[in-house]
Amino acid sequence: MTVIDWFALRTSLKRAAPALALYTILLILYFAVPGKSQLIAQILFYAVLGQAFNIFMGMTGYVDFGYVAFLAAGAYGFSIAILLLSGVGGGWMFIPLGLLIAAIIAASLAGLVGAIALRLRGAYFAIATIGVNEGLRYLVEGLNILGGSIGLYIVKDMKELVGREGYQLAATTLADMLMFLLAGVAVLTTSLILSTRMGFALQAIREDEDAARALGINVTKYKIAAFMISGVLGGALGALNWALKGGVVEPAQVFLILYTVEAIVIVMLGGAGTLLGPIFGALIYIGLNFTSNVYIAPVLESAGIKATGLHLIILAPILLAVIIAAPQGLVGAIRSRAPSRLREIVV
Amino acid sequence: MGESRNQLLLAGAALLLAIIIIGAAFFILGDRGEEGATATETGAREGAEAGETPAEEVETLVIGAPLSLSGKYAKEGEMSLMGALAVVNWINDQGGIKVGGKTYKLEFIFYDDESNPDRVVSLVEKLIAEDNVNFLLAPYSSGLTAKAAPIAEKYGAIMLSHGGASDKIFTQGYEFIVQILTPASRYFVSVLDMVKAIDPEAKTVAIVYKESEFARTVAEGAKSYAESLGFEVVYFKSYPADAQDLTPVLQPLKDINPDVLIGGGHFADGQLLARQLYELGIKPKLIGLLVAPAIPDFYDNLGEAAEGIVYPSQWEPKVKYSPDNVPEGYEWYGPTVEEFIQYFKEVARERGKGDIMPSYHAADAGAAILFLAKAIEKAGSLDPEKVREAMNDLALYTFYGKLKIDPETGLQVGHDMVVGQWQNGKKVIVWPREASEADPLYPLPGYSG
Repeated sequence: MTVIDWFALRTSLKRAAPALALYTILLILYFAVPGKSQLIAQILFYAVLGQAFNIFMGMTGYVDFGYVAFLAAGAYGFSIAILLLSGVGGGWMFIPLGLLIAAIIAASLAGLVGAIALRLRGAYFAIATIGVNEGLRYLVEGLNILGGSIGLYIVKDMKELVGREGYQLAATTLADMLMFLLAGVAVLTTSLILSTRMGFALQAIREDEDAARALGINVTKYKIAAFMISGVLGGALGALNWALKGGVVEPAQVFLILYTVEAIVIVMLGGAGTLLGPIFGALIYIGLNFTSNVYIAPVLESAGIKATGLHLIILAPILLAVIIAAPQGLVGAIRSRAPSRLREIVV
Repeated sequence: MGESRNQLLLAGAALLLAIIIIGAAFFILGDRGEEGATATETGAREGAEAGETPAEEVETLVIGAPLSLSGKYAKEGEMSLMGALAVVNWINDQGGIKVGGKTYKLEFIFYDDESNPDRVVSLVEKLIAEDNVNFLLAPYSSGLTAKAAPIAEKYGAIMLSHGGASDKIFTQGYEFIVQILTPASRYFVSVLDMVKAIDPEAKTVAIVYKESEFARTVAEGAKSYAESLGFEVVYFKSYPADAQDLTPVLQPLKDINPDVLIGGGHFADGQLLARQLYELGIKPKLIGLLVAPAIPDFYDNLGEAAEGIVYPSQWEPKVKYSPDNVPEGYEWYGPTVEEFIQYFKEVARERGKGDIMPSYHAADAGAAILFLAKAIEKAGSLDPEKVREAMNDLALYTFYGKLKIDPETGLQVGHDMVVGQWQNGKKVIVWPREASEADPLYPLPGYSG
């Protein structure tokens, strides 16, 4: 292997371009549409969640039902950095340090869990990962570590570090900008993996793990590597969205399995193993949700029709239709049927 | 070939639908943005005109909230909504509120947050930036309130917490977040006060609680308050959230034999705790449990084992707070308890809920509206800074009892929990004296000393 594979780098940049363009549009909307920045930020959160989750599930075909544990690990890691600095000072250092600790904890967790659970396949792997997630939650609550069941509240400490104004900025615009940055990193990482040997190895594993092994591919190595990359991105997302932006890390939320399910839905909807898939998935999922809760439900309600949860009723048939008619998701379906010109763009 | 064509069509249709939905969303949102801008302009213009002609003009004051109408807090969220609407209707029927020579009617806007912390932020922003809401009620529960706090502060909007009993949010240095219900740390204050008042002999307290955010805050708060009253806390243990058998935690109590036992968590575990205490023959002078005894099923399921058990509650429909027993230093405001129940029932009927009684969640939210409305009147302005300052000096007595906040943190310090007790198969309020309908049954029947 050469030190830098220029060809792979060029291919991956080309691949990443459409997704990066979509994120840029979201970024412009974030500033251009008044009063909707947080809706965009929410779409962004789910897009990055899908993106990070997709690196592992989309490429290997393994479903990690305990994925949210990485977000939790990141959120706790970030909070630990703040608590370490609290009283010592260090100002804005808390953000890089927090992200560093978040990444280290998430990577260690992924390495540890991966080394054990990735020996399992299919449903066994899925169940083992649920166990890890629930186990960690009970560890935090039962041993009463890291704030136990109450969780960690870090707003006050952040205010002490960078002042009230500084915190306002950090918890709102800055947190969202860092999340955009993370989205870019996730896209580039994915496209880089897809364009290198690792991507081919992972696809081989997804299609037939035994055949891949027989071909001399070190399946365990690639699976654990993908698992760790996916975990670190998830950790950074948890750190940014829950610790920095939310200011509270409580076990009841950060270990909630709902987020894993949402990640699966978004990836399935948009297209597993694609770069644009999670973005479309998140747009549809949150767009539907927000439209239904904010615009449709109140109108129906004033007409005397109770419409809470309407989006779920709409989402279910869409998801079914997608799974039956386009098992590779919307983006996957377009790619496999589009004329070859378009096929190059839709990745 | 035909099949794949069909599949293509289906996928295309799904995609088209998605695009339409998203397109519609952004179309509407673009529209709304403009509307919002013009609304502010007219508002400003009217404000300028009002300076010249302070005539009777009725304007609208909009209060907004993200509420949990689906998801795990759906019941509590619906109750909060109906409680808030009941008080809004009452205020409007009285002619609204007077602010600096103008009369305002209240309007309440809400969106479903699905009990999901990640939904709250975008809804709060929508309410403030697009719907031009003047003031906010927090979402239900401490977790959701904590998520809403940074964004509310960013926009400088006052937010009243009616369903978040956590103390933690109020130690984070937020300026505009104000609590209405008694914080978790003070849940057992009334129960311990009651014991202190009726039995100076009682010395020892045991605390057994569920390992959860809420119950642990309650237990730790109860411990420090008990110690400040001179009690000795002889036992302090938690049990796992999903425990099926509490014997290992309860067994030691047979030897310790405390005078008072308090704790619990939620419904299922609280009921289990009461049953196993009974089965093990542990009979302190008083058993006080969270949440579970307040629910009628508690007695139906436990029978005799429930007799005499007390519970702290934010509010009960049978409380005797009234304009006739206003404590010194407080002023009466708002509907009487009967009026509140009547307005609540009307709202419930309109919303197709049938003939139901308000729960304390409804009262919490109703009280929040009252506290806000009075503060706005006192401030004589809609400016959040002025309203927040007016709240500092407010000492209200309402259908919900006393309301008063700590100026520094916004934590509720005035409101007392009422103490309820199962007596002969009926829930009765036994404390505080001004709210009570019967004397406490003390010590517990079967207490052997």
